[in-house]
Amino acid sequence: MAEVYNWQLGRPMEYVYEEAHPNRQFAAIFNINRCIGCQTCTGACKATWTFSKGQEYMWWNNVESKPYGSYPKYWDVKILQQLDEAHQTAGRSAEWDPAQTGEQSPYGIYNGMTVTEAATELNTGNQALGYLPPDNEWSAPNFYEDTATKYQGDRLGISTEGAALPVHQTWFFYLQRICNHCTYPACAAACPRKAIYKREEDGIVLIDQSRCRGYRKCVEQCPYKKSMYRGTTHTSEKCVGCYPRVEGNDPLSDGVPMETRCMAVCPGKIRLNGLVEIAEDGTWVEDLQNPLYYLIRGEQLALPLYPQFGTEPNIYYIPPRWAPRPYLRQMFGPGVDQAIERYSAPSRTTLALMQLFRATQTMVFKFEIEEGPLVREIERNGQAWQMYDDTVIGFDAKGREVARLSVVEPLHERPKERLNSI
Amino acid sequence: MITRSRLFLLTLLALAGMLTFFKIPLASSQGVTIAAAQVAGALPLDDVASAVWEESTAVSIPLSAQIVARPMFPDANVKAVDVRALYNDEQIAFLVTWEDETMDDTAVRVQDFADAVAIQFPLVEGQPFFCMGQQGGNVNIWHWKADWQAGLATRQDVDDVYPDMYVDGYTFADTEAGAIAPVSSYEDINYVPAMAADNLFASASYASPVEDLIAGSFGSLTSQPAEMQNVLGHGEFTDGKWRVIFTRDLQSPAAEDAQFENNQVYQLAFAAWDGANEERNGQKSTSQWISLQLGEPAAASGATGAAAPDGTDGSGGQSSANTLEGLPYIFVPMLLVFGAIVGVAAGIWVFSRLPDPKK
Repeated sequence: MAEVYNWQLGRPMEYVYEEAHPNRQFAAIFNINRCIGCQTCTGACKATWTFSKGQEYMWWNNVESKPYGSYPKYWDVKILQQLDEAHQTAGRSAEWDPAQTGEQSPYGIYNGMTVTEAATELNTGNQALGYLPPDNEWSAPNFYEDTATKYQGDRLGISTEGAALPVHQTWFFYLQRICNHCTYPACAAACPRKAIYKREEDGIVLIDQSRCRGYRKCVEQCPYKKSMYRGTTHTSEKCVGCYPRVEGNDPLSDGVPMETRCMAVCPGKIRLNGLVEIAEDGTWVEDLQNPLYYLIRGEQLALPLYPQFGTEPNIYYIPPRWAPRPYLRQMFGPGVDQAIERYSAPSRTTLALMQLFRATQTMVFKFEIEEGPLVREIERNGQAWQMYDDTVIGFDAKGREVARLSVVEPLHERPKERLNSI
Repeated sequence: MITRSRLFLLTLLALAGMLTFFKIPLASSQGVTIAAAQVAGALPLDDVASAVWEESTAVSIPLSAQIVARPMFPDANVKAVDVRALYNDEQIAFLVTWEDETMDDTAVRVQDFADAVAIQFPLVEGQPFFCMGQQGGNVNIWHWKADWQAGLATRQDVDDVYPDMYVDGYTFADTEAGAIAPVSSYEDINYVPAMAADNLFASASYASPVEDLIAGSFGSLTSQPAEMQNVLGHGEFTDGKWRVIFTRDLQSPAAEDAQFENNQVYQLAFAAWDGANEERNGQKSTSQWISLQLGEPAAASGATGAAAPDGTDGSGGQSSANTLEGLPYIFVPMLLVFGAIVGVAAGIWVFSRLPDPKK
């Protein structure tokens, strides 16, 4: 066991391999607040990568309705339960200390055990906690779609007052999931033959299809359950981060990195995908002009999914404003309250940046903001909040302008004679 | 505060640590020899019930769970295999039998694992580490798989295990082959990446139920190229028992293959997997090194080495010492055992001089 630094936990942790980092890391932000659950991302991924025999049940991208939906069935409940039982057995608690925030511990310090640490502590004989979901748990990927929690307080389950923030009593939200291309992947730790690797150029995690022998240890130990077994080849497969697009080798890409298929098709404009620069010691190189760096490390608006698993996942979520905070803190860590507060009353830069989501399928490496006039002044979080019609400009890897959008969308009025035309 | 009990514990830990680190087994089944019987005629390549097998005495070889490297699985099911060996002028054959409650011969569904058995031969003189060899001490492994056996004629496919499945069709599949055409009919195999990468597991059909592999430590197991796959096999499951035959020519053209000659003693080891118990990879039962005797070895030799491939150890087969990369490795554990004994003695001496906290 080696000791590696996990900045999401704010502390060093145990991992099977020595610390080694890619030059750049594939990362994305999913804004849960905007998702309409249309599954266009899911379909785009399926049509690109998993339409062949043996892949019928595979959804490298899926969108599940929380709290009940999950693919494979109850994956997060099961792994959280295992982690909880591990803490009980070890007589430990899994607490965050949010007071100890710092440069390399933005969410404070996690004092509990990760999935790899718990496996060692409990002497499981494996590299990480986990379980192998059988086929029936993969067979209903969107079960519990749009199923909300029950309204308490009225016999008919109907509220006379409606719902209001900060927390809705009856709630659900969509959780969009792909492989997290983790910094410390549990799948790679679990593979007994080192058939899983993390690419130096972009941190994308891949299964070497020539070395895989279908042991399914990765399926068993990826806590996010994003490794999947293919019965026709007897090997496991997973999300490849659309690497030909990320490399800029796609014919459409004009030689610059492009967003993945699931990101690029999003009608709800919830996704922003890019690469962030990683220093040799694993820290993110400060770059406040990179939209991902700004929103994840600068504003801390987007948070990792189940950071306590300890794999340092690289898909970040803007948490839904209306769901109960304890549930969200369990899912995204202690940064939830601040993230929601900042999302509810976004800074001038953040608001402009939010326009950049899905503005182009070319990855944006740098943004600039041209300031515009004050257009609105309202009260948010009990304070005055101003909205400016700023313009955000996105630049690709070669520094060329690829997107330009203003906060106030341009208004086009249909001429009178065409009122009824479609 | 150093007390007697703590010191005792520390000494024990140090000893256990050294034994584990240098891979010295406390108990071993060494001393067991399989005497291969020489027969004049053809070997029973696919007849597990052939009377010819009776010419060789069955040797029962105890297996125990692999608990050296992760993933470990102390509850492995197969406790012993019975082995018989035959050879003629050209080939050598092994019949391995073991008890198994269930026949698991499919690995199509995510939760299905197949039964399997393997024989391991050192590719250097002496005994490299008994689990998958070690650096500089490669091993040749013959791995029989129940699902490869079942899929010999036609590979098992998803529509075999899900007969009621429905699809509109598969892109790149040969439309003449029907809506649920096997992946082997694909015009573009880039969407069957394991097949495109020449992974034997994904090959359109299996030439043999036995895979011929090389390993040189945990995690290094590598299949030999398709053209070097030259181990044949045949397995049958009846009455709660697997009977599996392995056959190969005595001499193989592949450099990284075990070679056999008459009147020699070789080393080999066995491993078995119970698919129903989700056993696979390191989650298995293994034996220690076993001796395999062909004919009447020269009395003077007494060497236990396998015939090394072309000069792996540079000793040209003249040396009777067990060598790995020229290192007299046998001295390393000896020295350590000696060190450990001294350590324990010193521990006991200090122990006897320490105060007992209970008094």
